[in-house]
Amino acid sequence: MADLVGVNGQRESFRVVGRHNLPGKLSYALATGIAKFGIDYVMPDMLHAKFLRSPYANARVTRVDTSRAWKVPGVVDILTWEDEDIKNLVSRGESFGPSRPWLDTLADTEGQEVAVIVVAESEDMCERALRELDVTWEVMPHIVDVMAGRDSEAPVIRPEVRDTPVFGAPGMGPVNPPKQGNVAFSNTVSGDIDKGFAEADYIVEYELRLPPFASHMPNPSGSVAWWEDSVYGGEGKDLHIEGAVRERRAIADMYDVPLEKTIQDGLFMGGKYCDWGLRKSQEVTPLLAKRTGRPVRCVNTREETFDFIMKERFMQLKVGFTKDGLITAIDDHSIADGGSWGSSSFGTTGDLTMGPYNSFKCQNVRQQMEIVDTNRGLMFVSGQHCPFNWDIGTMAIYLISEKLGMDPIDVAQLNLHGPDSQDDTRPVPSFDACIDAGRKLMDWEPHRAGEKRLPDGRLHGASFRYQMCPRHSFSGYDAKLELRDGVVHLPTQGPLFGVYAVECNAMVVAEELGLEYEDIAIDFDYREKFTPVGGGSDGTTASAWVMKECANVLKREILEATVEQIKNPPAPSMFGGFGFGGPPQADPFEGVVSADELDLVDGKVCLKADHSKGKPLRAAVSANLFATYSGRPPTALWAQGMGKKLDTMNTAYCEVAVDEETGEVEILRFGVVADPGKVLRPTSLESQIDQVMFFSQGCQLLEDYIYDPKTGVKLNNNMIDYKKPGILDVPRVDREFLETRAGNAAYGSNGISHSLANSHLVIIAIHNAIGVWVDPPATPDKVLLALGKC
Amino acid sequence: MANEKSVASSGGSMTFTLETAHEHVSDVIKAIPESLTAFRCPLCGKSFVGYGELERHYALEHPEDVVPVIIVLQLNGKACEVLIEPHWTLQRTLQFRLGLTGAKHMCGKGVCGSCTVIADGRCILACQTLAVELEGVEIQTVEGIAADPKWKTLIDSYCRWDAMQCGYCTTGFLVTAKALLDRNPNPTEEECKEALAGNICICGTYPRHATAIMEAALKMSQPPEPPAAQGFGGFGGPGGFGGPGGPGGPGRRPPGQPS
Repeated sequence: MADLVGVNGQRESFRVVGRHNLPGKLSYALATGIAKFGIDYVMPDMLHAKFLRSPYANARVTRVDTSRAWKVPGVVDILTWEDEDIKNLVSRGESFGPSRPWLDTLADTEGQEVAVIVVAESEDMCERALRELDVTWEVMPHIVDVMAGRDSEAPVIRPEVRDTPVFGAPGMGPVNPPKQGNVAFSNTVSGDIDKGFAEADYIVEYELRLPPFASHMPNPSGSVAWWEDSVYGGEGKDLHIEGAVRERRAIADMYDVPLEKTIQDGLFMGGKYCDWGLRKSQEVTPLLAKRTGRPVRCVNTREETFDFIMKERFMQLKVGFTKDGLITAIDDHSIADGGSWGSSSFGTTGDLTMGPYNSFKCQNVRQQMEIVDTNRGLMFVSGQHCPFNWDIGTMAIYLISEKLGMDPIDVAQLNLHGPDSQDDTRPVPSFDACIDAGRKLMDWEPHRAGEKRLPDGRLHGASFRYQMCPRHSFSGYDAKLELRDGVVHLPTQGPLFGVYAVECNAMVVAEELGLEYEDIAIDFDYREKFTPVGGGSDGTTASAWVMKECANVLKREILEATVEQIKNPPAPSMFGGFGFGGPPQADPFEGVVSADELDLVDGKVCLKADHSKGKPLRAAVSANLFATYSGRPPTALWAQGMGKKLDTMNTAYCEVAVDEETGEVEILRFGVVADPGKVLRPTSLESQIDQVMFFSQGCQLLEDYIYDPKTGVKLNNNMIDYKKPGILDVPRVDREFLETRAGNAAYGSNGISHSLANSHLVIIAIHNAIGVWVDPPATPDKVLLALGKC
Repeated sequence: MANEKSVASSGGSMTFTLETAHEHVSDVIKAIPESLTAFRCPLCGKSFVGYGELERHYALEHPEDVVPVIIVLQLNGKACEVLIEPHWTLQRTLQFRLGLTGAKHMCGKGVCGSCTVIADGRCILACQTLAVELEGVEIQTVEGIAADPKWKTLIDSYCRWDAMQCGYCTTGFLVTAKALLDRNPNPTEEECKEALAGNICICGTYPRHATAIMEAALKMSQPPEPPAAQGFGGFGGPGGFGGPGGPGGPGRRPPGQPS
């Protein structure tokens, strides 16, 4: 059992942790409509702002005449890239890609903010003013087809950019070649590829496309800002910014405002799962509010909120393996959309150091990646995606199983290395437990492609994959707890973005202090330091570990304060002698001299030797106490080798039925057996699993970005033409949780983090049904085409 | 224009329980302005003391634009006078004139259901409905539902089943669920799904809604439980959403009660 360094990491009995149906601490605000998201704020005398957005995929503004726009009624301010206030703006949020002016004249994707901002009495007037701008555009060639962008004859869309990141894996292979045209390179090599292929009995090769996937934040990005006289006086005004949740410091730094004078009451982020990038509409309002002296609101439309959460990529795989199914060599060539300015290494080269290859015994692996500059769109940081090459690893296992007529689970088990290293041949207990449970859950009976027909005549397919249950390991946490007037308070800045992380921490505090979940008062306050963000979708297990330590610091303080109160009781009430309250009670703590003799159980301070003798917490301790703990749990095993060491694992399954006449694919069910180590908050863990399975369904059956090749315009950046799964679309998800306690965050937990989203689980099941490949999204027309029926 | 109550943060240092949220939302309903006190030109921002002055201002300054209109909305049991431009949607009117933000702006195209309100008993999409079309129509928003004690059970079920993650779309689901229960007090899982087919949740909370609605329906059909009663046991089984234990549990103290 892991979590050996923390207090009570080995706890065996749980009263609060692991309980279902404990409501979120702000759920009642959300359900009743009183929760305020950033764009909900409406201030008296508020102005609105809009950016000029490029109608072209790649163009530069060479001149703009604003004179007609200024004549539009209600226009209060117009700024261009030439204004000093704009020139001085520097984003302080997380950003990637080459440095460029905050408001550029260059737009390298259609719809990008460029050159001009208009401020007016209403959004309607902003739009009217934008239509009155006289803009001269220099339209340049664009690339929205990733494969076309690789062509040596393709126009080079960013010739002046010299610092396009070319990530590599130092020490893992030859120096990456220099950028050529639109293409940068990142290569890694380990072992001896030629020797590995020479040892192989079979070689399979395959190509696949992974479609792009929209981040699709439910709440369009935006902010409202205003300046106000400081509540406490002093120089300068306070900046009030709503809608850039979690980014108060970035905004404060951007405008050189002390953090204590930067106010952000709203805590609700909306569905920003690991998308921490600040949009310009979230950054610009303080400037506009300062210039106009009025509150300013700037909000993107839905069409302007269609950033990637996963970019398109193409992969070619060559795998060598023995007649037993043991992989001997992997040669992986991928072509990734580098996207436009703002793209990150996530989803491209950052994934080269992760993925399934590190979980294989085979160490002869070459990965060659091309990152192609395009004008397709933006991706901010990371998203709810799995490192992409898990898909191709899943594919390799399926191809081997098809070739040899083996169960893919057996192929995976054969190739998975042991807990400690790629040379470790021992089984991984968590994996074995997952597949045992998975086989039962799914009534697993694998068959070769095209061999099983359902009673209704449709073809049946099934697929399997495994993944690690990784845990975020790179953040530290500053936890604070307070006993105030007999109530335990957990102060936190939030934020609230859907994983119930704060609640999970409160459950751990209640567990450690012998209290109930409802007893823990969570004080949401933007000024507080503690934020439980940081991976591990089971409520952020790493922060819960820190909070567990903090709770035990507070517990010790409570018990010591109890002893102090025994020695030095508070003065009796002036009414004590008048008979109120009945005869004096015998003191259960009589003779106690040390905190070691006491415990906290079921809301009472009691004798360790006899839990029936005690006092309610409020009566035992009248002192107000603080406890703090800064730190983090030991680095997760996953992060110590990105898969070269294994502890907690998960497996996922999919069954489909394919109608050969209509091309319709029905997902009969998903199955997930996950071992997060220890389940902390099961209700939200279940939801997180449902979410990623529905993500998988969406990107494999429904979702894609469609571009007009001639103009580079995105054609479906709206919720009608870009179809997300609805309640009638989603299949059943059967889930089972295992608790091996093999993680090293709170109580041996790790969580599930991004580990389940996968774009090929359904696609493989479709192949298993019909025997031919369909590139995602597998819409009926593509299925029929693959079957040669249209 | 928004009032102070509606602008106040619902997060900062406030504790929300079923009861406190009910009180808060009741205050929000009370604070909805019923009569106009300002006549502001939406084009240029100038303020006038009466509608006649505003009309004259339009004639002089904006002769080619359509003069804003005054309409009376029957909203959550109150008659509310608002001054809007004729092209304003109900969602925009609720947010920018009446301080109600429960009907959310998400898709702007009538696809996602996040702006759902009930009009004369039917669910409508506030982002696709002009406010001027709704004079004389009884409109109920999520705030009105939440302020009605009858629906506490539904809200409580939604919260205890985590039928929300980021929470942005939740109000649209909840309004739709209430409309369903109005016409069908005992819906099946399939009927719940059909009713919610027009609501999109990016976070994938779909399986939880039917569970929450059916639990609420069951509770609402029964006499009130005594205070010490056990919680609802949940819908278990493969693919269900229950698992061990409902909200209650052996040996648990009632919330807020000192030991």
